[in-house]
Amino acid sequence: MTFRSKLFVNFMLALLLSVGLVTAGVTVATRRAFDELNRQHTDALVEQFQREYDRRGHEVLNRVQGIAEAEPTVRMAIDLSRPNADISVYVNDARGVAQSHQLDFLDFVGTDGSIISSAEWSARFGYKMEWVTQKEDWATRGSFLMKLDTQDGPAVALMAVAAVRVGDKDLYVVGGERLGKEFLASLVLPENMRALLYLNLDPAFQPANLIDSTGPVVEAERFEPVIELERTHPGSLTEKINWTFDAASAEIFHAIPKLGRQNELLAVLLIGNSQRTVVTLQRHILWLAIGVAAIGILFGLFLSWWAAARVTLPVRRLAAGAREVSDGNWNTRVAVRGNDEIGQLAQSFNRMTQELVDQRERLIQAERVAAWREVARRLAHELKNPLFPLQTTVENLQRASTQNPDQFEEVFRESTGILLAEIENLKTIVGRFSDFAKMPQPELAPVDLNGIVRNVVKLFEAQFCAVGRPPITPELHLGENLPTIQADTTLLHRVIENLILNAMDAMPAGGILMMRTTPNDGNVDFEISDTGVGLTREEADRIFTPYYTTKQHGTGLGLAIVQAIVADHGGRISVESEMGVGTAFHVELPIKPPHPQTTPVVAEEVHEKKVEV
Amino acid sequence: MKLRLCLCLATISVVLAGAAPLQPARRPHYGGTLRVEIGPTVQSLDPAVVAAGREEADAKAELDALLYQQRSEDGTFVGTAGSGPFRVASWELGRRATFAANQDYREGRPFVDSIEIQMGRPAHDRVVDLELNKTDFAQIPAEQARQATDRGVRISTSQPNELLALVFLGSRSGKESPRMREAIGRCIDRAAIVNFILQKEGEAARGLLPQWSSGTAFLFPSETDVRTAKEIWSQISPSPKLVLGYDSADTLEQSVAERIVVNAKEAGISLVSRAIPASGEASLGQVQGETRGVTHVDARLVRLRMPSPLPRIALTAFIHRLEPIAGTVESPVPQSASPEDVYYCERSIMNSGLVVPIVWMPQVYGLSARVRDWKQPAAGESWPLADVWLDSTDSR
Repeated sequence: MTFRSKLFVNFMLALLLSVGLVTAGVTVATRRAFDELNRQHTDALVEQFQREYDRRGHEVLNRVQGIAEAEPTVRMAIDLSRPNADISVYVNDARGVAQSHQLDFLDFVGTDGSIISSAEWSARFGYKMEWVTQKEDWATRGSFLMKLDTQDGPAVALMAVAAVRVGDKDLYVVGGERLGKEFLASLVLPENMRALLYLNLDPAFQPANLIDSTGPVVEAERFEPVIELERTHPGSLTEKINWTFDAASAEIFHAIPKLGRQNELLAVLLIGNSQRTVVTLQRHILWLAIGVAAIGILFGLFLSWWAAARVTLPVRRLAAGAREVSDGNWNTRVAVRGNDEIGQLAQSFNRMTQELVDQRERLIQAERVAAWREVARRLAHELKNPLFPLQTTVENLQRASTQNPDQFEEVFRESTGILLAEIENLKTIVGRFSDFAKMPQPELAPVDLNGIVRNVVKLFEAQFCAVGRPPITPELHLGENLPTIQADTTLLHRVIENLILNAMDAMPAGGILMMRTTPNDGNVDFEISDTGVGLTREEADRIFTPYYTTKQHGTGLGLAIVQAIVADHGGRISVESEMGVGTAFHVELPIKPPHPQTTPVVAEEVHEKKVEV
Repeated sequence: MKLRLCLCLATISVVLAGAAPLQPARRPHYGGTLRVEIGPTVQSLDPAVVAAGREEADAKAELDALLYQQRSEDGTFVGTAGSGPFRVASWELGRRATFAANQDYREGRPFVDSIEIQMGRPAHDRVVDLELNKTDFAQIPAEQARQATDRGVRISTSQPNELLALVFLGSRSGKESPRMREAIGRCIDRAAIVNFILQKEGEAARGLLPQWSSGTAFLFPSETDVRTAKEIWSQISPSPKLVLGYDSADTLEQSVAERIVVNAKEAGISLVSRAIPASGEASLGQVQGETRGVTHVDARLVRLRMPSPLPRIALTAFIHRLEPIAGTVESPVPQSASPEDVYYCERSIMNSGLVVPIVWMPQVYGLSARVRDWKQPAAGESWPLADVWLDSTDSR
């Protein structure tokens, strides 16, 4: 995964996390706000309902007081205050008065509590309504809730009592409004709100006692827990009822217990507030948030892609520059934009590459100087030896011409011979240097390496067994089925010669010279080892350096030439040596060289050496 | 002398003052139209056509009595229409009728030239029309008589001759039925019904015949005994829930039924009232067990008007009319008119508990001031409209 991809993924994760958190936060905050708003709305509606309820109570009270203060009632009270008053004439009065005052219940009650006339249950005349005569200030009592017996069974009504006193006798006007579906239907309630009423008429919860403005409530048993709670601990409470799995179907019910004169629970008003509008609005906001989030994510996706591309562009340029440098193009430069960390990094990169180039130039220059110094030293060393005999020979000639003229002829002959020999020696030295400088390009042709090895060994057989020196025993382990390789026969011949000469120099006391050829996966390996004195680690490291030699009379170019020829064939050469044991050279030649190699005898080639000590 | 003269003058003044209202009686004269209003709507004056309801049947019988001269033994009219004191002059079905005086009536021509009968007038409207002098004659429910009197309406009230009784349906008999009937009979507060519902027009019923007719009604108890009713009911297990039916078109029956329910409730008796479709005298027998197959009732209120002031005839008629409802009125009709036979027969029915007399109600009529020579009809008698004459000098 690229840096850009990683950055893009990180941007996206951060964006998704941010959007998710913001969306969740907005959703939670919105829900809380709606819940709070809903609660306030419900409280306001409940308060409004309570005011409406109280207003209805005052209305009932006013109507009852109006009846009590009306002329016919006062006349009735006066009439009934007389001894032996005939109350039967008033038995039907209550019904008409109740109708005209829109009261469901109206009773005229005598001073002894006997019902004189009853609107709702006219047949109850003569019976006692004793609670009316109890000591209570009805003028200040106001309206109250009461459980009544009716023809159709018990009922709950909002009642009020007014007394008309004539002399020492009272006429009580007891009127009220039934708490039922008509009462609920007459309440002015806002939209999405409904009022339910549970009439606590039975010892246990009865679903039929729960009504709304149209009659019994469907699925009334769902309210049983609320009602039971109110029955045991009357008090305002709120309950949410989910009618279906759809949250929009839920209703929040605010239960208001309604107590009677003796603080007994007579009814429970349930103010239901439908959640459909709120839930619909919440859903709308949620979908809006999701839509905005989706657009934000898409926009963020594009922005992240663009930002990742923009942020990683200098880095990618740096990486490309680094790759260029690693490929050897040290002159690579990265464009610097801005002065931020990336810009500073680019500047540092450019400085680094510039420094590398400079150092490389300096190193090359130093190595050139060192090489030229070495060349000068070797030249001086090589030329110094022949020059000394030349000088002494010339001095002998001069001395002989002056001191021994008669012997001059003989001295002259000897001296010119020496001079010629030394000059020849000088020419040889110069020729070697010239040969090294003018290393020819290999002319490739199919070559049998084993054949070359055998030919070279045959040339050295006489030297291996030369008189006056310890014998050297050659051992050939030439691989069978060795493939022919594309190589220059002359140059490979020279490589093997130099390596054998080097081994012979390393075995002044004689020894075994082992040569081995083996095929090796597209290459051909050639190994030559001796049982000579071996090399130190420093010697092994510098063994291929031109003009480096451990011998008294070596030029230090033999192994350098070997290394150059092997390199020209696309191969590699390495040396393993152990002091007192011997030295082994490993040459790895490709069957087919990739391309002809030049032989730059420079430090760059040194690093290709694999030195294992 | 002076004192004697003063006393003489005073005596003369008193005599003159007392003699002033005693105007000489007017002589009846012919002419005029008697305006009559009735509550029900009579669909047909043909005696052969059975009325749909009790009120219509009663009204139809009264009208037929004006048109027909002869009656059969069972009380239905026979002969030709117009053989009576009046004949039909005009007839608007269900709305009004005009009867013209029959000049050839063998008992003599009626005093009034015609009778205009307006049908389908509610009781309240009849009273108002009487009060406003828009009608001359109308029957008024007994429970409204007092109110009408208070409003200045001229009222004529008969002796209590119509019994309102609670009759248990014979098909509801069972082991505990006699005790249930006794409990309900004991808890009914008859005095309150008379005083409040009937506005003191009528009297609490003790037996199947009124005291003024049989002379033995006092022998039957009528006092309310809630405590005993409670005890009896508490011994009945399981306690049944009874239904008391009443004529849906009869407000008086409804009021009485509701009152009986309240009385029963006080005694712990589970009794509810329920309206049942109106049924006439003729269809009374069809109400048995199930009323019209819709409403289940255990008992119902029944009005029984005496066909005759004679105890034997009245009781016999009652027995015949109750038998289809109660089912098991085992007592035979009185063998003779002797008070003993009548009493024993009545006692027998009362002991069965199937019939619980509640109140006796009079027939109340409202009359305008110009109606003269009105004589309250006795039990079983028809309206004597052929004998009344209209005082043309009284224009009220």
